[in-house]
Amino acid sequence: MSLLRGLLGMELIGMWEKLFLDCQERFALLDSALILDVPLGVISRIEKMGGATSRGENSYGLDITCKDLRNLRFALKQEGHSRRDMFEILTRYAFPLAHSLPIFAFLNEEKFNVDGWTVYNPVEEYRRQGLPNHHWRITFINKCYKLCDTYPALLVVPYRASDEDLRRVATFRSRNRIPVLSWIHPENKTVIVRCSQPLVGMSGKRNKEDERYLDVIRETNRQVNKLTIYDARPNVNAVANKATGGGYESDDVYHNAELFFLDIHNIHVMRESLKKVKDIVYPNVEESHWLSSLESTHWLEHIKLVLTGAIQVADRVSSGKSSVVVHCSDGWDRTAQLTSLAMLMLDSFYRSIEGFEILVQKEWISFGHKFASRIGHGDKNHADADRSPIFLQFIDCVWQMSKQFPTAFEFNERFLITILDHLYSCRFGTFLYNCESAREKQKVTERTVSLWSLINSNKDKFKNPFYTKEINRVLYPVASMRHLELWVNYYIRWNPRIKQQQPNPVEQRYMELLALRDEYIKRLDELQLANSAKLSDPSASPSSPSQMMPHVQTHF
Amino acid sequence: MEFAEMIRTGQAQAELLRGPEEPPLRGTLCITGHHLLLSPGPQATPDLWLLLLRNVDSIEKRVAGDSGTITLRCKDLRVLQLDIEGVEATLDIARSIEALSSLESVITSFPFFYRPKGLRLGDAWHFHPPECYYKRVARETNAWRLSEANEDFSLCPSYPRAVIVPRAVDDSAVARSARFRQGGRFPVLSYYHAPSGTVLLRAGQPLTGPQKRRCSEDEELLRAVLAGARPGARGFIVDTRSPQAAKQARMTGGGTEAKAAYPGWKRLHRPLERGRPLQESFVRLVEACGDLEQSMDRWLNRLESCRWLSHVKETLSTACLAAQSMEQEGACILVHGAEGTDSTLLITSLAQLILDPLSRTMAGFQELIEREWVQAGHPFQLRCAHSAFSHARPKHEAPTFLLFLDCVWQLGRQFPLSLEFGEGMLLALFDHAYASPFGTFLCNNEKERCLCEVRTRTHSLWSGLSQPKEQRKLRNPLYVPNPLAIWPSAEPQSLRLWQGLFLRGTRPPEPSEVAWEKVWQIVTDQEKTEGSQPTDSASEPGP
Repeated sequence: MSLLRGLLGMELIGMWEKLFLDCQERFALLDSALILDVPLGVISRIEKMGGATSRGENSYGLDITCKDLRNLRFALKQEGHSRRDMFEILTRYAFPLAHSLPIFAFLNEEKFNVDGWTVYNPVEEYRRQGLPNHHWRITFINKCYKLCDTYPALLVVPYRASDEDLRRVATFRSRNRIPVLSWIHPENKTVIVRCSQPLVGMSGKRNKEDERYLDVIRETNRQVNKLTIYDARPNVNAVANKATGGGYESDDVYHNAELFFLDIHNIHVMRESLKKVKDIVYPNVEESHWLSSLESTHWLEHIKLVLTGAIQVADRVSSGKSSVVVHCSDGWDRTAQLTSLAMLMLDSFYRSIEGFEILVQKEWISFGHKFASRIGHGDKNHADADRSPIFLQFIDCVWQMSKQFPTAFEFNERFLITILDHLYSCRFGTFLYNCESAREKQKVTERTVSLWSLINSNKDKFKNPFYTKEINRVLYPVASMRHLELWVNYYIRWNPRIKQQQPNPVEQRYMELLALRDEYIKRLDELQLANSAKLSDPSASPSSPSQMMPHVQTHF
Repeated sequence: MEFAEMIRTGQAQAELLRGPEEPPLRGTLCITGHHLLLSPGPQATPDLWLLLLRNVDSIEKRVAGDSGTITLRCKDLRVLQLDIEGVEATLDIARSIEALSSLESVITSFPFFYRPKGLRLGDAWHFHPPECYYKRVARETNAWRLSEANEDFSLCPSYPRAVIVPRAVDDSAVARSARFRQGGRFPVLSYYHAPSGTVLLRAGQPLTGPQKRRCSEDEELLRAVLAGARPGARGFIVDTRSPQAAKQARMTGGGTEAKAAYPGWKRLHRPLERGRPLQESFVRLVEACGDLEQSMDRWLNRLESCRWLSHVKETLSTACLAAQSMEQEGACILVHGAEGTDSTLLITSLAQLILDPLSRTMAGFQELIEREWVQAGHPFQLRCAHSAFSHARPKHEAPTFLLFLDCVWQLGRQFPLSLEFGEGMLLALFDHAYASPFGTFLCNNEKERCLCEVRTRTHSLWSGLSQPKEQRKLRNPLYVPNPLAIWPSAEPQSLRLWQGLFLRGTRPPEPSEVAWEKVWQIVTDQEKTEGSQPTDSASEPGP
């Protein structure tokens, strides 16, 4: 509601209340007073249903499709033409781009006591990794985004590659996305390098500088005499890409490299798979053949392939002691999934709240995952072929990992869900636009608030009480179908039957445990204080935090 | 002793593989009357590895060259592999295990020889006599009495000596009702729900037969139940068979309550799978979970086709129906199927867990199992004779009790704070139901237990579990008493495969125990600070 008010003023509030009443009528069957708080950014499509002559209850009104796997249907009364106005106002503010209006994040005047934009500083992050060193240098060649307009300004490249080399390599890589360092192993100094596909084409073009450049990367680490290249795509897709000028590194040209395909499908396959998930969970859960219906969406199978790919990357770097190059076609979807998940497995820093924010900021936002195209912020074109739940799939993989390693992550499930909610909400500037250059042009960091401001100013809500900080532990999740499960608390949270379980008992448990732990730490401090000061006050007695949390009834 | 004849070999050198996670164990293998032992030799850790032979469900032997391999599939779903030096030794050991693991005599079973340190015989057996639960009921209502009509087990061999019946019905009426019910299982009180003043009863099916016989004492008994509850109380008879199956049972002398004969009672049919199909479902599920070579692309389809989770779903939703009728509609409930010793007990015990906060405590849960499963005559000996690996033709085996434990696990997953016991308790109960050094789950009913003197000659599992060193494994560190009913969701997306049991061999790298250990630390740290609190010093600064 607050967002609506902020954006639309009183005009819609009046109508919203009417709408609210109507929907309360409609949902009254589910015996709960419904409170809707839908950020307009989440709306993907608004349709009118029924006409002036429609008969029957609830046959006339608005049907709103949301990006977060739910549909809202408002039944209205036919008299008074209230629907037309409502439709227009909603369309106008849900799709500001089509009406030359600013996205809500630019109007949002929320204030937080921490500034999330300062979380990620690339120089500091690379310094944390021990960079630059005598094999790798930081270059500002892309300062004005002239080398590659979808890459960040600051890149880490081999010390022995000159700027001129980089420019030549750029001509041979799709959209100039040259191989650059994402992560370096603190001990064995092997690296994860990301890029886009080489522009081999049908004729099998070669580029001496590109071949030499990959060899230079290989030579930064002398433990293994081969460089490993992971092409995220299925083999056939990689071959088919030759027709449009792309391709892959064939081993008769790149002698010192081994190429593996990871069989992860493209954005269109993922979009269709998620659509099928929505079909079986909303508005009704497919009950009679739940498991086989779930299997037929292939969603978990895709999750499995992404995780398996990331495990291979991590294992190659950590145990295989070989440097790894990861790419897909353009290197901004599957590549981002693989590098960020592998880094999460390898580097415990990214498993803290701020570390994870840095990981997202670095591997996804700064390296040009096309958030604007994949999500369609403020865009009314809901059927755009560029839409795809790639980032959601990544967060799902993180959730699967956090299930298998309950003590390894500082953040909890709510943290992940909050990120996903604001992926669509347009309340923060964090996920707006496709790349750093566009964000800079729009002065996003000056004109909008960062999502990390919201999260970091209230960190306790997002903490996992089981978290045990461990350095240098590599996590290898089990990517077998037996150990993957559907993220019910995210995908099925809008189902009215599931919604009854709020507040989620697990979250209650989290809060209680945190309280318990804090209480313990506090008491320990006080005890030490009391003992050292030899204070004595017989009247006070310890009181434990109230633990009584009645469970909310669930329907069956 | 007679075992000696079955032991064909003294000892052999062997290597034991216990799964991918654990290191192999080398040592000397030998067989005693009840155990397989592996002693790793003097230089290794002094730990002796011990397996109760009764735990062996199936055995497979293979010889090649001058050594052999024995694969033991255990009733607790573990799979062990023994690589043994010497062909002869391998065959002898295999034959000895085969003979000793399939002994059927109860009184020569290990519980009759097990004498652990620190436990006294007869210790905890009397923690839960019927009198004990009756006292709880009598504090709330005087409509019920403790009848000793079954003192010599003549009315009903599968009931305990004393049962709770309506005060208004005398023992001779009870005796006649017993003759009208399968197995003599006349309607008895299973649970009194004080907040609504209603009761949960269980029985065997009425023996109406093709002639539609009636029994006025049986009708009187159920009338008295409603009269004793509250004015105008209604009753529901939850029949765990389909209407057709119930009707068909008339041909073999059984049947179901005629509507006209029991005014105020309404019959509901909630068919639950039992017996052979349930056992087959269990076998298929364990097979699917152990099948590591097969491509996993169709895992969810395969899981679904095992139908185990749909049995969990049906069981939980029927228990919810019974509990909801009591709590929200103020109705009395009578549950029965045919014998009233399987699906009936599933429903009555789960309904209590949903409604009764006491049954969710450590002591209350043990009392519940003792009262609603052991003393209520669930035939453990027959049902748990074999587990999922046995090649023997199934006779009376059925994983009813495991289904109960799985449902409780689902409850615990959905209400992580509300059960005082944890997954470890449920796993222990599963293990002990199938093979145990304790006597609790021996025999099929109280009469047999009495004849075998189980209660005086064996130790109770409850004493074993109350040992302090067991507690961390069994308890839920997050437990917070919850006075409300806990209504589980039986929607398919709310139910999970019980990985801790069915995927025992292939666990994720960081099992939940690690997280639990962490929680225990937090909880006990807190208790420690409370405990170490000097009484005369302040924990909080004064105002």
